[in-house]
Parts: sequence; C-alpha cells; structure tokens
Amino acid sequence: MSEDSPYWIEGTVPETPTPAEYPEPWGKTNVVGARLPRVDAYERVSGSAVYPSDVILPGMLYGAILRCPHSRARVLSVDSASAEAMPGVHAVITASTPEADIPWSYRRGPESRLFPSLCQHEGEAVAAVAAETPQQAVDALRAIRIDYEILPHVADQETSSDPESPKIWDDGNELPARPPYERGNIATGFAEADVVLELTFTTACEIHAPMETHGCVAQWDGDRLTLWESTQGVFAVQARVAEILGLPLSKVRIVGHYMGGGFGSKLQAGKYSIIAPILARLTARPVKLFLSREENMLCVGNRPPSRMTLKAGVKKDGTLTALAMDTLSTPGAYAISGFGLEDWQIRDLYTVPNVRTSNRFVFINAGPARPFRAPGHPQGSWALEQMMDDLADAIDMDPIVFRLKNIPSVSQARGGQPYTTTGLKQCLTDGAAAFNWETGRSRPVQKTHLKRGVGMGACLWIAGGGGPPSTAIVKIFADGSVNLNLGASDIGTGTKSVMAMVVAEELGIDPHAIQIEHADTATTQFATPSGGSKTIPTESPAVREAAYAVRRRLIELAAEQHDLAIEDLELATGAVVSKTDPAVSFPITELEGLQRRGLVMGVGYRGPNPEDVAITPFAAQFCEVEVNTRTGEIRILRFLGAHDSGRVMNRLTYDNQIFGGITMGIGLALTEERILDQATGKMVNANLHDYKIPTALDVPAEMASLAIDPHDEQCNTTGAKGIGEPVTIPTAGAIANAVFHATGVRITESPITPGRFLEAQAAQAEEV
Amino acid sequence: MFPRFSHARPTDLQAALALLEQASGRIHAGGTDLLGCLHDGVLTADTLVSLSNIAELKGISPSTENGLRIGAMTPIGAVAAHAGIRSTYSALAQAASVVANPPLRSQGTLGGNLCQKTRCWYYRGDFPCLRKGGDHCFAFEGENQHHAIFGGEGCYMVHPSDTAPALAALGATCRISGGGSSRSVPVDQFLMPALVDPQRETVLEPTEILTEILLPPAPPGLRSSYRKIRSRQAWDFALAGVALALQFDGNVVRSARVFLSGAAPMPWRAQGAEAVITGNSLNAQTITKAAAAAVEGAEPLQHNGAKVALFEGLVAESLETMG
Repeated sequence: MSEDSPYWIEGTVPETPTPAEYPEPWGKTNVVGARLPRVDAYERVSGSAVYPSDVILPGMLYGAILRCPHSRARVLSVDSASAEAMPGVHAVITASTPEADIPWSYRRGPESRLFPSLCQHEGEAVAAVAAETPQQAVDALRAIRIDYEILPHVADQETSSDPESPKIWDDGNELPARPPYERGNIATGFAEADVVLELTFTTACEIHAPMETHGCVAQWDGDRLTLWESTQGVFAVQARVAEILGLPLSKVRIVGHYMGGGFGSKLQAGKYSIIAPILARLTARPVKLFLSREENMLCVGNRPPSRMTLKAGVKKDGTLTALAMDTLSTPGAYAISGFGLEDWQIRDLYTVPNVRTSNRFVFINAGPARPFRAPGHPQGSWALEQMMDDLADAIDMDPIVFRLKNIPSVSQARGGQPYTTTGLKQCLTDGAAAFNWETGRSRPVQKTHLKRGVGMGACLWIAGGGGPPSTAIVKIFADGSVNLNLGASDIGTGTKSVMAMVVAEELGIDPHAIQIEHADTATTQFATPSGGSKTIPTESPAVREAAYAVRRRLIELAAEQHDLAIEDLELATGAVVSKTDPAVSFPITELEGLQRRGLVMGVGYRGPNPEDVAITPFAAQFCEVEVNTRTGEIRILRFLGAHDSGRVMNRLTYDNQIFGGITMGIGLALTEERILDQATGKMVNANLHDYKIPTALDVPAEMASLAIDPHDEQCNTTGAKGIGEPVTIPTAGAIANAVFHATGVRITESPITPGRFLEAQAAQAEEV
Repeated sequence: MFPRFSHARPTDLQAALALLEQASGRIHAGGTDLLGCLHDGVLTADTLVSLSNIAELKGISPSTENGLRIGAMTPIGAVAAHAGIRSTYSALAQAASVVANPPLRSQGTLGGNLCQKTRCWYYRGDFPCLRKGGDHCFAFEGENQHHAIFGGEGCYMVHPSDTAPALAALGATCRISGGGSSRSVPVDQFLMPALVDPQRETVLEPTEILTEILLPPAPPGLRSSYRKIRSRQAWDFALAGVALALQFDGNVVRSARVFLSGAAPMPWRAQGAEAVITGNSLNAQTITKAAAAAVEGAEPLQHNGAKVALFEGLVAESLETMG
C-alpha cells in the first residue's frame, strides 16, 4: 500500500461529481444520534435475514476446494479419476482443466495461478469439485490423489532472511526495502532528552474469524453471472470476477445484502469467487462454495505478527524529543495487503519533532496477511502506548498528564496539515474523569497476590474521513413511502440503520418505514467496499444529499402548485408547511407534481473532501484489571472508550462498535495467537477451540462509552468521522499498561497468557 | 465426510455389550468428543453403539455403601447442579461446572468426560503421531506450550478431563461391565500412563463399558475443591488445574489427596505435596512447602516451562482457600 493512501483503493481513485449545492450543517437533530434499534434487527435475530450462506437454489450443487496440506510443496501429479467416478460428483477441476488454468495475480510480488503448481502455504488451492451434497464433495476431495514434492519451508519471520533459510521466491525472502520515514533529526532529539528508553515489542499473528466464513453461491443465466457473496464490497468483487473470467461488468451481478461479518478479509474476491462460477459453468448448475472454518483460518487472511523496536526520548518536563522505530513483519507467502503501517501512530499521534521509522517485510510460508481492522495500528499502539507509559513512569508523571503535554493540532506525518478537528485532548481529560482515573491510580499497594491496576492508551486512525466516490438515490412514491438505494454493504455495523436515519432526518419520516436497497451491483450504484472506517463518512453525505434533493423538490412542487415562495416553505412530517403560518400545510400525497409522475427522486453524490486538511478520528481507552500474580490470570474488570469520531449517528450502533472493538482488542492482548509448528510449518491451532477468541465471559460486564463530538463542520455534511477501527487500536496497550500498574511487570509480547506473565514476572524479579 | 458406520441404540446394557463384540465398535455417549474425532479423521469406526437409550446408565442416587452412584451417562451439567454433590463433594461439583460451556455440559456425560481423547493439537491435527500409531510424538520437540511436565513418556499429551482429577482426589471408583462380568477400578487407575500403551487412555477393553462412578461416603472433616486455570473463561480446557480432597481433624490435615490436571497424560497425583500437608495445619510455611513439593521433579519441555510456576502458584492458592 502506498504510504498514506487508503488501503481499499488500488490504482485510480474513482470520483463522483461534486454536488452543486451542499446542505447546511445540521444543528440539532431529531433522529440522527438517537439510540435507534437497527432497521433490520428483527430479520437478523429471527433468522429471516438471508445471508449468502443461506442461499439455496433449485438444482444447486456444492463446491469444495482441495488444499495443500504442506507449508511448501510442488504438485508433481494430480489423479482425479476415481473422484470423478464417485456418486454425486459432477465436476472436478485442476490446474490442467482448461477453464481453470488461469493466472492469479496478487497485484504485487510474484504471480501465481488459480491452482499453482508451487504451493507456498498450507491451504493453497490445488483442485476443486462440485457434487450434489457437501458430504459427497468432501469425499471426492479425499479421493483425489496428489503427488507432492515437499520443499523446505520458512515458518518464522525472524529467520526468514538468514542466509541458510530456504529461498521462498526466486527474488529472495525479503520485500524491496522502502526508504525510512524521517523528520527532524533523531540524533539531536535523543541528545536533548533527559530520559531515553528502548524496548522491543512483539505481537502475535491474529487470524480473521468472521462468524460467516468466506464463500459464495454462483448461478449462470446464459452469459450472465450472479454471485451471492459474503463480502464487504460487491463492486470490488464484481471488478475482479469480471476481469478474471473475461466478462463485461454489466454481465456480473454480485449480491451481498446480508453478510456475517468482515474485518478486512472480505474487501475483495477470493479464489472461491472464481472457482464457484467455473464449476457452475461446467456443470450447468448453481454452485454453492463456502469455506470450512479450518480453510478460513488458513487462507483468508490475518493480522501479521510484528516485532517493533522503539526508542524514545523525553525531557523531565514531559516534552517528547525523539521517536525511532524499526519494525519487522511478514505478509505471509504473498504480498497482498494488510501489512505495514505499524509506525503510523509513532509518526502522527503525539507532538514530536524528530522521528525516524523503518519497516522490513519478509516472506514466510504461511497464509497471506489481509487488512485486519486498522492495519498496523493496534501493533504500533501496543508498542507506543506502553512506551509512553514507561516514559511517564521514568519521569514520574501521570500518563495522562504526560500525553496532554504532547497533543498535536496538525498532522505531523502529513507535513503539518491541520486536522479538521481533534478531540484527542478531550478524549483524555473527559475520559479520565468519566473513568475515575485518579481514584484508580492512587489506590494503595495491595497486599494480597491479587493486584488491581488501571491503564490507558490513546490513538488515532490514519483514515476515517471517507471520500468519493459514492452515489445514493432516494425516491419518494406517490403514497409518501420512501426508498433508499445505495451500493455499500452493511457489514454488521448498522450502515443501513444509520443511512435510514439520515433520510428520516431530512424528510421527517420514520426511519423504520424506509425500504432500503443496497449492496447489489445490478440495482444499486457504485460504492467502495465497507472498510477503513469510512462507510459512514463516505455514504452518509451522499445519502443526505439525495434526501435533501427530494426535500427541495417537494417544496418546489408545493410552491408551484400553490404559488408560494419557496423560501417560506419547509418539509415537516408528511407535509410541506409554511414557516410563518402553521395553518398552511400541504400533505405530500396531495402534491399534484408527485401524483402525476408517481415519483420524486433525488440523487446524491459524495463530493470531494476539503483540501489540505486531515480528517482523523481520535480516542482514548481506559481499563481496570486484576492480576493473579501467582497464576498469571488477568481479569478485566471494566473498560471505557472515549471516542472522537465526530457526530454520533446512532448511539446504539456506536456503542456496539466500541464494545466490539474493545472485545477484539482483548483478544490481541490476552488470547489470540496463530501457532505454526516450526518443523512442518503447519498451523496447529486452525480451529475455534485452539485459536482462542474471547468469549462473553472474557469481556467485562462494566463497559462504557463516552462520545466526544468536536462538531466537525468541515469534514463532510454530516459531521461524522469513522468509528470502526479506532475502537480496537488502543485496547491492548491499555490492558498491558493496567497490568504494569497493577504489578510493575511490563509485558512486551502479545498475547499476555498466564505463562507469559509468570515468566516476565520471574525475569523481572531476577533483574532486581 | 464421515467414515461409513452403522449406528445402534440398544435399550439395555447386555445388548450394548453384545454389539461391542463386533469389530471396531465404538461407544457413543454424549458424542461431543466422538463425533469431532470421526469428522476430523482422528478415529474410525464400523459401528457406533449409543448408550443414550439405556435408562440404568443415567442418574445420581445413593450408593449401597452410603456414598453416591453416578450413572456414566449422566450429563455433566446435572453433576454440577446436584445438591448433594455440591454440598458434600465440592471438588466434583466445581470441576463439572467449569467444563467447556453450558451446551457441552448438557450434552456431554460424566463417563464420556473420563473417556475422552486428548486435545493435543498434533493428535487432533494432520500429524501421524505416536498416539495415532505413528512413530514419534510431535509435541516433544514441537509446539508444546500446553503439554506435559510430568509423566511424559513417549507421548506428552495432557489428559483433558476436569472431572477425572476431582473424582480421583475424592477416591471415586469406576464400575466396568463386559466379558460377562463386571469389575471396579479406582479412577486414578482407570486412566493409564502413556508408557503402558500410547494408543490407550483408559483401562477399558474394547468390549467393556464404563457404567457408573461410585463416590465413597464422605469422611468427617472432608473438604474438597477444584480450581482450573484457562486461557479464556469458557469453552477451554485446563492450562493447569488442581483437585484437593483433604480430611481435617480440627486444624490438622489427617489425610490429603492432591491431583493435577493439565500436567500429565493422566491426572497427576502430587504425592510430595500430600506428604507435606498430611499431619500439619495449613499455615503459610506448610503451604509454601507443599506447593514447591507439588512441582518437584517436573520436566518441562521447551515451551511449557511457565507451567511449573503456574502449578506452584495454583496449588498454594488452592491450599490457602482450603485452610
């Protein structure tokens, strides 16, 4: 990814026209910001919502993919004869099937094939089948005989660059180095410091584990393909499928109304999105192809492991003088996306004149990285926020007071661009007050082996301002009912609900009464995938623009019909009314213009962002933990997230984001870790039992949110900034800082398992 | 997807035993472990013999020896909730209540919990390990964070059961039927060391059925407990656990049984700790010595060294709670 461009866009950034007229910023809102249950809550909880994995079509077959069981191997031969002869099996495709013998580009780095002969990680696709039942499909896979030559592998990023390590790719195991980021002079900065600390931090690899695994259902109708796909972006899938299958975009329809979670791994098409259509075409039957949980854990993406050596200088008065960080990470076997950016917090979060960061990336024979809820940021935050805590400790200053001394008003990483708004200071001060920080910090040393402590972390998120393109359409019908049409996916964050609230705000109607069409390339307008915490700031201004156009047109129709001045009229619930004479009211359903044409339609475009300013969400999170210093168990007692994501659009879904992000951060801090068997390179915990996602019992009952809204009237016409990713950035660092406050033990390695805590405690005791 | 097998659901024990005489018959109790093993290709079977229709294998009742009889097919959740077990045999109630999660406790049975296979990721995964008939233990030099620090001989699995150490500490006995007779085996001898036969976890012959678990009458002054450390608070096996059954005479421990879970291929009896405690009151000095004795002789592997301190801390804390 280029250094600070959004990761969900490759190549040219599409644009939509700049709206001719922008609506005024909202003052007080009637609907937006309320605690409104989701417009599709009933469908979701009752089971009537049809997710792609629920789709069943007449005559549908089930597809399955045969995957390489070795971390690195060459396919010498494939014998599918007995599989093809099995009952219920309709098709077997391999690299030698002409329709499946196609290149697979990862955009960057070495090229591969749909079914590569050189398998570079456990789980690479080798063949696929379609059969009448899922069981028959799996049985057929087992009957395919593959002769592999097992090749030497690399399973550890730390040794990938060693001269004696096997070469994964002909060009070597290291991605081309990028020039380091530098500003000021770090030597000068460290010379000015009263205290200089250096620590090495690591984070474990985390695996994407959405509730609904990746997959799709493919159906051909003549030369037109329809895919029901579990995706964050139907148009991104459409583009890739059309390109690879050589189809016009107009002939590829992707539908993704509901989808069971996506945290960055579903931003694009997968091999399944191509294999299912190929199988469907060969068998002349619809084909459903969803990955098993194990396949999902091996193949669809991860937050890569990181090693970060961070050096920091500070003056006794709390002025940061220099930060330097060197990182090592791995994109896995292919350099696709989702690696890098560990250093963004270091560059941009706190005022510091002298910074140098450099990043190294090496290949290993493991599943590829993908954007994983704030790529790079939680890792960098794990390092920086713990370092800030240590620096505060070293100069005997409260960690919040220390941070408050280093609040920037401009984006230093972007050459000093001002932020449209920054609520960082308020997140820290108001968050600390709401959390009762002082009380937690001043608790006397506890005498038992159960130690309580409080900690915090702050963050910003590189993106979160959204931007073009987006096109939304709002229609009001002759009976006054309203339809909203937008291309964006609702990945479970409440996008549909928020957009309905925007329309409701403009048109004075009940948001639950709005019919929403979305995430369908055949019937809705182009949208970028829902990721990057940009869906609300991207889509809500376009939706508002469309609703605003409808409102304006309704007022115009009333003014024409009754020969009144437009300026004197406004839209109220179900009627155009006079601003000055409450008795003058024209029900919408009696507007002749609406009745004659049957429809009033408004089209809204997402205009460009303001130039030369940075639109950035900020946050601070606070937590209290109890550490059992005998057993290393860590209990999180309470959490508070104070977030500046601009305007709160729906307080319920806003809180959902915060609590969900914190839950995910608890996984990073305490439980989640991909474990590769070094001898074979195989993942030993590729299941939901051994790969430990936090359960409800691991999340504290006491979870609170605090909305910091600096009233950003510059960022866009709804004043909203992104929330989805900042919510998980500072969580793990805050937990580690609370553990340090409780016990004096600094854990630099994630996850903090009981064993890791006890080892660190023992190592520290030895030093003392 | 699954191997092809026939499934029988006899209504009495004799019919079940007769079916097991068939080759490769496997007992299907709650199925929470068996079906996963079959699905993942860890086990094969020609015939599954379900015990779910055999009424005599279910339920908790007073035993003829004034203890308790628990049918092997009794759900773990029922054991956790049983008033008599909660009041008299706390270790068992506590162990049953921290097994997995509520759905698995409803479906899983106490007998199945004793007979389950190890959760070792090499055994469960795509590795031809010793316990599956291969020639070596992948964990020995592999990813052995969760593996044995005691009793690892050839195989370094840890036994996954929470109820087994609690039952062993309480001196419970397994009743086994088969081959035209029945026999009794103490729980701590029901589960086998790795060295005897690395492909077997229990003394059950393929034609035998574990029918009931008998708890002896609680001696006066009995206090018992089970405490489990895990990576997360539900749906997880023990990183480390300890079952205590101590018989007090005033402040003095008259007899002690201490069993560790997550430590060895079977519930590991910490005889050193028992010896330190017995005859003493649980003061700070005794507890420190007993905790140290509990981990004496531990042989950690490359990645599980922290377990030694973990068990030491756990035993100390559990003894403090008991005193």
